[in-house]
Amino acid sequence: MKKTLSILISGLLLVLFCVSLSAGQESETEETYTVWFGGHYTDFTDYQKKVGEYMLGNEEFLPELMVDYLARGKGYILTLNGHYYDHKNFRGTLTSRVGDRFKGTFGYNSLYHREGQDMLTYMETREAGGGKILTHEVLDPGADYRVHRQEFQSEMKALLSRKNNITLMAAHRMVLQKGAEQSIGNTHCFSCHVTSQTATVDKVTHQVEASLQGDIGKNTIGYDFGYRLFESVAQPVYAWFDEARHPVNGLSGAEFDSRLIYADTALPINAYPKTEKFQHKLKTKGSLGNGEYAASAGYSRAENKGTELVSTAWSGHVNYSHPLNQKSRLIARIKGVKLDSDDLFIDLPTYREGRGPTASQRDFDFTRYSTLNRSEFDGSLELITRVNPRLTASFLLGYENISRKDYPVHDDGINTNRFSGQLKLRYRKGLTYSTSVKYRYEKTSDPFTSGRGLFEARGDTVLNPIPDGFNFVFYWQREDLRYQAITTEPTQEHIFEWNSQWRPTSKMNVSLGLKGSYDKNGDLDSLDVNHLNVQPYAALNLTPNPNWSFMAGGSFIHYKSRGPVAVALFDG
Amino acid sequence: MVDYKSNSAHLYFTSTYHSGAKFSAFGTISLTMSKAEMDQAVMPDLTSRLVNAVTGLPDLTHQDFTFPNMHEYSNLEYNLLGIHLGFEYAFYPGWTFTADGQYYDLSDDAGGWVYGDESGSYYMIRTGVRYSL
Repeated sequence: MKKTLSILISGLLLVLFCVSLSAGQESETEETYTVWFGGHYTDFTDYQKKVGEYMLGNEEFLPELMVDYLARGKGYILTLNGHYYDHKNFRGTLTSRVGDRFKGTFGYNSLYHREGQDMLTYMETREAGGGKILTHEVLDPGADYRVHRQEFQSEMKALLSRKNNITLMAAHRMVLQKGAEQSIGNTHCFSCHVTSQTATVDKVTHQVEASLQGDIGKNTIGYDFGYRLFESVAQPVYAWFDEARHPVNGLSGAEFDSRLIYADTALPINAYPKTEKFQHKLKTKGSLGNGEYAASAGYSRAENKGTELVSTAWSGHVNYSHPLNQKSRLIARIKGVKLDSDDLFIDLPTYREGRGPTASQRDFDFTRYSTLNRSEFDGSLELITRVNPRLTASFLLGYENISRKDYPVHDDGINTNRFSGQLKLRYRKGLTYSTSVKYRYEKTSDPFTSGRGLFEARGDTVLNPIPDGFNFVFYWQREDLRYQAITTEPTQEHIFEWNSQWRPTSKMNVSLGLKGSYDKNGDLDSLDVNHLNVQPYAALNLTPNPNWSFMAGGSFIHYKSRGPVAVALFDG
Repeated sequence: MVDYKSNSAHLYFTSTYHSGAKFSAFGTISLTMSKAEMDQAVMPDLTSRLVNAVTGLPDLTHQDFTFPNMHEYSNLEYNLLGIHLGFEYAFYPGWTFTADGQYYDLSDDAGGWVYGDESGSYYMIRTGVRYSL
């Protein structure tokens, strides 16, 4: 509460600073304001949390208030807008502008979100013949999950010098989330016991941005700084992991315990990471030759403060627009990103440790190399030309490369290439009629896949027990049966967009359009992945006379996908 | 390989009426219909293929690899009807009386596998006075 109050006060002080500057202006002030005060009553029937997901859910009369205020003088403007709906849902924005020298904004938004409870009823089955079993247990039946989200935003812009347009910007944003949410834990597969309980939500996000920019001749240069911190200060929620034992007869506890990382204990689950990120960016734009350019170079560093894992990113982009003649121009765009994430060594207990010298023990320690490690390049060339006074056309060719360093194999990752072509046409006949059409085609080689994700190999029908006197096969041995990369990412994609506007008179406007896409991937044997998305829409605005106006419309979204389905089975 | 498809349609109609500077009224009705479902996953019969290397016998004869109802867990079917009506009357210079009401009805016809039956409705009645200067 103290933190909330301090943010509110500092934001208001920022705006009051600008207000005091504006008060120093010697001029007459013009004020307009609107105040609405009243109340509302809400009544619910049956299940509330879907139809009233963002409402309090109280069936009572509540006061409500709306305010709009504008003060305008010579060289300054002050505005205040606010809406108090109930004590959890309200928002307000206060803005002050003093000429072109200062602008200060402070905003607050409070939102309430109610979430349903997953009853887990679909997680219940038993192996044929009364064997292994999957059970669920809701430890907090009837729990009421609610999260109160508050967002504070303050921003100040100052023009320090008109000579070189030197501008300073500083902004702060804070998000608080408090309440309760569902937390689901899963005991090891020997018992397949899924439990649900209530977890406290108490999350804080801070975001600070600052920038300084100025003009040097025909060019503008600037520097952006960014900082972001996220942490959860809620007490961790603990889940009980069942005692290890045979899933059917309940015996052999020591044997099953030796195969697990932990059992018969309570451990924290679903913990949120504490993350911190710094960003620096240098940017410039201006004229070069006959054209115009914009470029930037950036560096960011993000750290999980709990595990001390760090990921870094170098990025840069250059855009250049060059006029070919009075009707045509060429735009070249290039950008690149280099991402690196720390490796993490996973140290696991020895499998079947303590089961005697002849036990088939295994060391499953491994190093996790991140799929984030990659280099990305994206370049395109676009020609825009005015064919005639009514028709404008653009044609774009693009190439993108994503080179993953460590996935699926360390130092031998996937290299994805994507070629794209795009055609856009725009036709305009005065204010009466306009239409635009766009078609884009993308061809991708080696899209992102789940390495050896397909389970199990056709023809590989024999499961061999390890040579230690066992006549059965361990679960971990079944990993060897994985044989093929699997993906739902496409290798070919067609994208189509059309929109038409018709305004026969000033009283009528008709809008029609269609968005669609189709993609597929037939490169992997035994897989035939495709997705189809079609979205037609129509709208009509009609104002037959100054008293009446009508709006009507509709949209339809059809989505169809075909992809692999994996089913978790007992015995692998 | 399994097909998954979803369809969603949204229709709306809004009208406003102004009678001079004193009275205005508005009305909106909207209807959203959404449905999604997955085809049944027909898994290959593994019982004759997975053989225990020691016994030489099929290893999974006790298993049932048919899933005739599993795909129904992905079914979604919602219909949402919304109605919003209201009017304003300027009863004195600068002062306006306002009143409006909302009604939303959601029907869940998919079986409620996750959260139970989510069908529900609410209405909200709001009234107040606006002062403008």
